[in-house]
Amino acid sequence: MSLEAFAVTKQFGAQRVLDQVGMRVASGELVALLGPSGSGKTTLLRILAGLESADSGEVHFHGTEVTGESAHVRRAGFVFQHYALFQHLSVFENIAFGLRVRPRRERPSEGEIRRRVMDLLGRVKLAEYHRYFPAQLSGGQRQRVALARALAVEPRVLLLDEPFGALDAQVRKELRRWLRAFHDSTRLTTLFVTHDQEEAFDLADRVVILRDGKVAQSGTPGEIRGAPADAFVADFLGINI
Amino acid sequence: MIRKTRPPLFPGLRVSLGITLTVLGFLVLIPLAALVLKSISGGWLHAWQTIIDPRLLASYRLSFGVAALAALFDGVIGGLAAWVITRYEFPGRRFLDALVDLPIALPTAVAGIALTALYAPNGWLGGPLLRWGIHAAYSPLGIFLALSFIGFPFVVRTLQPALQGLPKEYEEAAACLGAGRWSTIVRVVVPAVLPAWLTGIVLALGRGVGEYGSVVFIAGNLPFKTEIVPLLIVSKLEQYDDAGAAAVGTIMLFFSVIILAVFHRVSAWNRRRLGA
Amino acid sequence: MATYRPASGEPVWVRRALILLVVALMGLLLALPLATVFIEALRKGAGAYLGALRHPDALDALRLTLFAAAIAVPFNLVFGVATAWALARFEFPGKSLVASAVDLPLWISPVVSGLLYVILCGAQGLLGPALSALGIRVIFTPFAIVLATIFVTIPYVARNVLPLMESLGRAEEEAALTLGARGFQVLWRVTLPKIQWGLLYGVILCTARAVGEFGAVSVVSGHIRGVTNTLPLHIEILYSEYQVQAAFAVATLLTLLALATLGVKAWVEWRQRLALAAVRRDFAEAP
Repeated sequence: MSLEAFAVTKQFGAQRVLDQVGMRVASGELVALLGPSGSGKTTLLRILAGLESADSGEVHFHGTEVTGESAHVRRAGFVFQHYALFQHLSVFENIAFGLRVRPRRERPSEGEIRRRVMDLLGRVKLAEYHRYFPAQLSGGQRQRVALARALAVEPRVLLLDEPFGALDAQVRKELRRWLRAFHDSTRLTTLFVTHDQEEAFDLADRVVILRDGKVAQSGTPGEIRGAPADAFVADFLGINI
Repeated sequence: MIRKTRPPLFPGLRVSLGITLTVLGFLVLIPLAALVLKSISGGWLHAWQTIIDPRLLASYRLSFGVAALAALFDGVIGGLAAWVITRYEFPGRRFLDALVDLPIALPTAVAGIALTALYAPNGWLGGPLLRWGIHAAYSPLGIFLALSFIGFPFVVRTLQPALQGLPKEYEEAAACLGAGRWSTIVRVVVPAVLPAWLTGIVLALGRGVGEYGSVVFIAGNLPFKTEIVPLLIVSKLEQYDDAGAAAVGTIMLFFSVIILAVFHRVSAWNRRRLGA
Repeated sequence: MATYRPASGEPVWVRRALILLVVALMGLLLALPLATVFIEALRKGAGAYLGALRHPDALDALRLTLFAAAIAVPFNLVFGVATAWALARFEFPGKSLVASAVDLPLWISPVVSGLLYVILCGAQGLLGPALSALGIRVIFTPFAIVLATIFVTIPYVARNVLPLMESLGRAEEEAALTLGARGFQVLWRVTLPKIQWGLLYGVILCTARAVGEFGAVSVVSGHIRGVTNTLPLHIEILYSEYQVQAAFAVATLLTLLALATLGVKAWVEWRQRLALAAVRRDFAEAP
């Protein structure tokens, strides 16, 4: 399942946040969207999820245009920077949410919901925590619940906004390795936003660097390190040319 | 014996708490104690007979029943108003927002005569309603209308901050998980603001049960039909039955304290949620 | 892209319908009674309107109302600031009980509030015999009106100042202390300027309630014209004597005060938002 943006442009007032941005995440790929703050990367991610509308341009999931679909139809798996877990629901109910809101005909049975939620909880290593409430969890645990919740609806693509931004350095490193292993086992098409170039290069198959709403360069970590497109990219990577 | 004296960390405790406790003691606690003492001064039997008098029982039913209905009605329309005022941008929004507080700012006697003029048989709304066979003024419906007027701001003003404080990501997360707008509101927004909503409804109830000024004019004050509890206290005082008035007052005080306790429980729940 | 709608919004027609519904409901419930006051007051023309306002009984009632407010408001200003200071700055046993006691008058029926003082100071009251031996009468005098007014307005200043004092913290006060300021200097030079808008709002609400109180005052007053009649009580008397237009004419005075209260509230909230935004900006710019 591939994910593509064609010539996406977005203007907030007088400021052009995204300017003719095109990019592609191939099926099963893990791609980082890297850029300094204000480069438009979160806006692009939100447009891909259908949380924001583009002024012009198209979004395609697996070759089909989804630009006109609103977020609840598109059902991209989206993990928010601060997780946005529902405080009034237990960990179990947070993850089951996306299954319970389906129309009656498509809704899995109670037993099936239970099986799928517990399976996901096992995969994110939180099986014993299903009765807890979000407020009782640590940052890293919340992060994994948010991921499990996004995965429960079997999304076509997974979008993560600064997935490690709110965590301290130690947990961040651990989770990074864990996410890579998790991706290798699921092969779900994944795009994540980060401002941390080390994180992007360590984790991703390919990196897309955004600057002032334009794609500055994209390629594998090796390609970009080997041949930075311009002084901005080199400077951002801390490479002297 | 050597007493260690710690210097106070922050100035003014003795002065400020002194003022607070003196005022509360003389103006609140002593009068409250006097009320409770007076209520049993004519003997327990007299007090008991006073508070279970059938005419009073009818008035408890009326005061609590109508106040509860009005508070629930305020819950619905106040909920709608809070949603529209916090979420939508439209011309006149600021004006509407300011208008919410009118029942708090307007003296109750003024509200009382205005509502009565409006809903009386010859009033703008009372006339047309009467043609439909509905007696608005001088009936329980009139009391309901007055209490709905009085309680409205309490629901809106407690719900508004909760709606404003709800992170936008909550609703976005629900949408990404496939929830339509309606199920997002029912499953995410309403449960998240429920404690604040209930707090507002309890506040409206507490205010409505004891309300006097806005109700006496429109109620009609017929025994067994439209007599509210505060009115019976006034009529006992007019008959110089101070002990009887005190007994009924004590009962009302008791109910106030119960509603206050419920309010504290609900708002503690609310704070835990927001703090979490 | 016409089919697109953002995730956190309703379709336009739903929004419009809800806005119309709320405008209609609030118009019926709130605006219509408000309009009624002025329409009824001017029903017999400007002459009758002014006549009702210039009547000696109305002027006496106005005088007593202002007198009671002039005592109750400063009293509660001092009480409110002291209470907020004690509750916001210190931990002590029974603190939550004190906080509840401050709020209590809001939860008690106004009639019961008045009843409290009749029971305490009335002729058959607990202190009644002692007071009459001293030749002091309380109930059915202006003094009782003042007492009842103070009681029902006890919570207003404290409640509006307390959350503000709590949220603004005490760092600036502690800085002032280390610079050698004493208690009252800290209050006057640091705390009060910080909480001025909340304080103003509390005082305004307190004034509105003091001027408009009906139930409690009605119970303790005895309705003696020219002596213990306040404006709300005067309105009741006129209304029950079928002088409806005169009752509404006097009511316009209190209604205008209520509208001014709403206006000042909107203005104060706007100032508070500006002040808070400035504080946030300062913090954001701090290195």
